[in-house]
Amino acid sequence: MERKDLIKKWLDDELNSQELEAFKKLEDYKELTTLSNNLKRFKAPEYNVQEELNVALRHINTSKKESKTHWLRPVLRIAAILAISFSVYYYTTTLDTNIATIAAQKTTIELPDASNVSLNAMSSLAFNESSWDKHRDVTLEGEAFFKVAKGSTFNVKTKHGMVTVLGTEFNVKQRDDYFEVICYEGSVKVTHNNDIVILKPGNSFLKIDGKLIAREKETSLNPSWINNESYFKSMPFEYVIREFERQYNVSINPQNIDVKQLFTGSFSHNNLDVALKEITLPLDVTYNFKNKTTIELSRE
Amino acid sequence: MSKDISDNICDERLFSSLFEKHSKNLHDFLYYKFGEHFNPKDKVQEAFIKLWEHCGKVTPSKAKSFLFTVANNLMLNEASHQKVVLKYQKTKPKTHTNETPEFILEGNEYMDKLQKAIGNLTEAQRTAFLLNRIEGKKHKEIAVLLDISQKAVEKRIYGALKKLREDIDGL
Repeated sequence: MERKDLIKKWLDDELNSQELEAFKKLEDYKELTTLSNNLKRFKAPEYNVQEELNVALRHINTSKKESKTHWLRPVLRIAAILAISFSVYYYTTTLDTNIATIAAQKTTIELPDASNVSLNAMSSLAFNESSWDKHRDVTLEGEAFFKVAKGSTFNVKTKHGMVTVLGTEFNVKQRDDYFEVICYEGSVKVTHNNDIVILKPGNSFLKIDGKLIAREKETSLNPSWINNESYFKSMPFEYVIREFERQYNVSINPQNIDVKQLFTGSFSHNNLDVALKEITLPLDVTYNFKNKTTIELSRE
Repeated sequence: MSKDISDNICDERLFSSLFEKHSKNLHDFLYYKFGEHFNPKDKVQEAFIKLWEHCGKVTPSKAKSFLFTVANNLMLNEASHQKVVLKYQKTKPKTHTNETPEFILEGNEYMDKLQKAIGNLTEAQRTAFLLNRIEGKKHKEIAVLLDISQKAVEKRIYGALKKLREDIDGL
């Protein structure tokens, strides 16, 4: 075998015993082994794989923030969807329930706790169903008759004041500068500006134009409008006209009439002609239709 | 090459096994090619971290060539072909007290010559030759490591040996 091939085989550690003998006989055998042995002293510094791996893993784990985005992004998307749907759900459930009547319309509402509210014409009632367990609060504009189930305090908020009860029957009427509360059962606390008045059954609280007006004891069990009738006692005629307009969805023009004069009486909600007679005859007033919804009142 | 079980290496265990398999070879490769001046350990770390960052795109079978290419490029960016000087152990494995001072002097002279001669080899020759002579790697293993043919490895190693001997004689 040639010298070159022997050396090549030696380099790859492939010499068999015969070849090894031949290799040992080469003249440069000693030189080659010396070289080879001395080369070993150039060995690379110790490399501790486990130690280096730990360094790498530590680095990876601290810089995971960047790679976290791989799975963080879809998670964030899901979170955003959840947040939006939750807030929509929250918004819609905490939104007040609003019930309103138009002119010539009445309605009865059952509140979440089986309390009953009858809503007169052109009135609105708002309450929050989701927080009903915590606060029984309703906001009223117009007139309503309440039959409140026993329970925690029940508040009726109006523009003119607050009515607080525990469980009773009462009527609240709030129209423009008119504020009236009549208690039919139990007791009712009325807060108006800084006044606090406790009403017993039959008592009423009435303020017109900021003036407190004393009233006789109420003997009926219900407000008259529940029975489709509006009853007035010593009421300035203008308030009667306004109530009439709401009940029949008409507009009334008093011509040469003193609207401040007091009216006692009632009108029914069922028949326009009868009702008109009911409010005009006692005051000796005539009425005539300008058109279907406009009525003129005048004195001869 | 074994079949890939998964198509990426974004898994710490898989990553660790790749590290255990390739890191030492990569380190030795860098050391013998570029010397220790540019800190081959750090380059190994950097290369593996790059591998992790691109773990979704690199299959396990491609990991080795990815690592070697990245580490090699990292080195080339810094080491603009400076003269490579490899250190050798100054202390001899055995101290022969009966050796003459001349012999020891001769030995040191020999080592210095050898050091210079190693520096004079081409990068390709030096890497293959030292992986073979010092790390005891077979030609076949080196061929896989460097992605070249076994014949080329043999040629490089034999060429390196020849050049070394000429240099030592000449110096």
